[in-house]
Amino acid sequence: MLIHQDMKMADVVHLNHHLLHVINRFGIQLGYGEKTVSQLCATHKVPLPFFLEIVNTFHDPSYFPLESLLQFKASRLIEYLQQTHSYYLEFRIPEIENYIQRLNNDSSFDEAIKVLLLDFFGQYSHELTVHINKEEQRVYPYVLALEQFLESERSDQEQLELLKAYSIHEYEEDHENVEDKLFDLKNIIIKYIPSPKDSRLLNLILHEIFELEKDLNNHQHIEDLILVPIVEKMEIELRKSTKRTK
Amino acid sequence: MSELVNILIIEPSYLVREGLKTLLTQTGLAFRVEETAVINGSFQKLVEKHQPRLVFINTLLLHSHWHGNRNKAPFQKLQIIGLTWSDVPEGVLSHCDFVLDITSSKAILMHHFVHFITKLGLINDEKGSESISERESDVLRLVALGYTNNEISERLFISVHTVMTHRKNITRKLGIKTVAGLTVYSILNKLVESGELKGRASASIE
Ligand SMILES: [Fe+2]
Ligand SMILES: [Fe+2]
Repeated sequence: MLIHQDMKMADVVHLNHHLLHVINRFGIQLGYGEKTVSQLCATHKVPLPFFLEIVNTFHDPSYFPLESLLQFKASRLIEYLQQTHSYYLEFRIPEIENYIQRLNNDSSFDEAIKVLLLDFFGQYSHELTVHINKEEQRVYPYVLALEQFLESERSDQEQLELLKAYSIHEYEEDHENVEDKLFDLKNIIIKYIPSPKDSRLLNLILHEIFELEKDLNNHQHIEDLILVPIVEKMEIELRKSTKRTK
Repeated sequence: MSELVNILIIEPSYLVREGLKTLLTQTGLAFRVEETAVINGSFQKLVEKHQPRLVFINTLLLHSHWHGNRNKAPFQKLQIIGLTWSDVPEGVLSHCDFVLDITSSKAILMHHFVHFITKLGLINDEKGSESISERESDVLRLVALGYTNNEISERLFISVHTVMTHRKNITRKLGIKTVAGLTVYSILNKLVESGELKGRASASIE
């Protein structure tokens, strides 16, 4: 079932609680009362179609409304992607780290293995941080500048040259997958760790990793399948741009 | 872990696509699906892009989009399964490896699915429990210690190509893709000791 504007936000969460974090990224926090999706979007000044498409894409990965998502403004999309980044770096990653650290309380667990897991996860979080920094420092500013340029009435030659020097293809080509290490970590824990006396904490860690992986997958989809085509469209416009330079 | 089988579904009907996926899931096949309702551009381009092992395609679409040679790239390595619910358009049969009548009952459809999936060797029961061979564990040890493919090839007197084949098999069997992950595996299984990693540690972080 798809999520629509007249549903109560509370029912959306009952339908799929994985959406809680996604809803938060639009600035909509708990305590929905009886308000519907469209009412809450209006209160928080979130464009309703944008909210619906993003939430539904997450809710049902086979529902990927390319046509309508391509209508959205790049800056709007980037705002959402950035919210997602900070959710990973400020919340989810530290939380998993915390859980792994809590393994220390279990004395039946070999010290060396705790260190191994923490190290491995540390490497992963470093990798993810580098990936995100590259997007936020190089790619997103370019997209925002491009959007601004196309929206402004007049333009200066210098800016135009600057924009033409980069192309979203560069990003598309070396936009690497950030899930490989997570995938490995899952198998290491599921298959290869010496069986502990009590698996409950490890179960929790696994659960978190599965959630993060699902979220990253959706994020990557949005970057590759929505952001890139939107920017490609803007680049074509830029090349055709017959704007008079000052 | 066996490798995921790439499957491409080209079928206008959403209901039929969903039904196909449901049945495929029930066969126990580990697969990744790409689906499309229409062919934008050419069939060949689609196949080249997704590199499927199996293509399920509506026979009417196949009829109107077929320009190719079954014995030539990219068509020779894949299986084409035509979907039909009445008559098969003329000439299409020869392009298909199999034709599936979508009005058949679930039992018959499942029977066909399992038949051609096992015939193609896409489901193999032993692979799952297969553990790594002695040669593979030699390679794995060196990978874990941070050696490059070239270095491993020199040390073990095998070609770089063989090293790569071993690495592919190791990844498939263990379900671990990265060097860092393989290193953790090797330590847990005492193929290497953490002491040995010192000095090469930086190489093991890709
Ligand atoms: Fe990102
Ligand atoms: Fe990314």
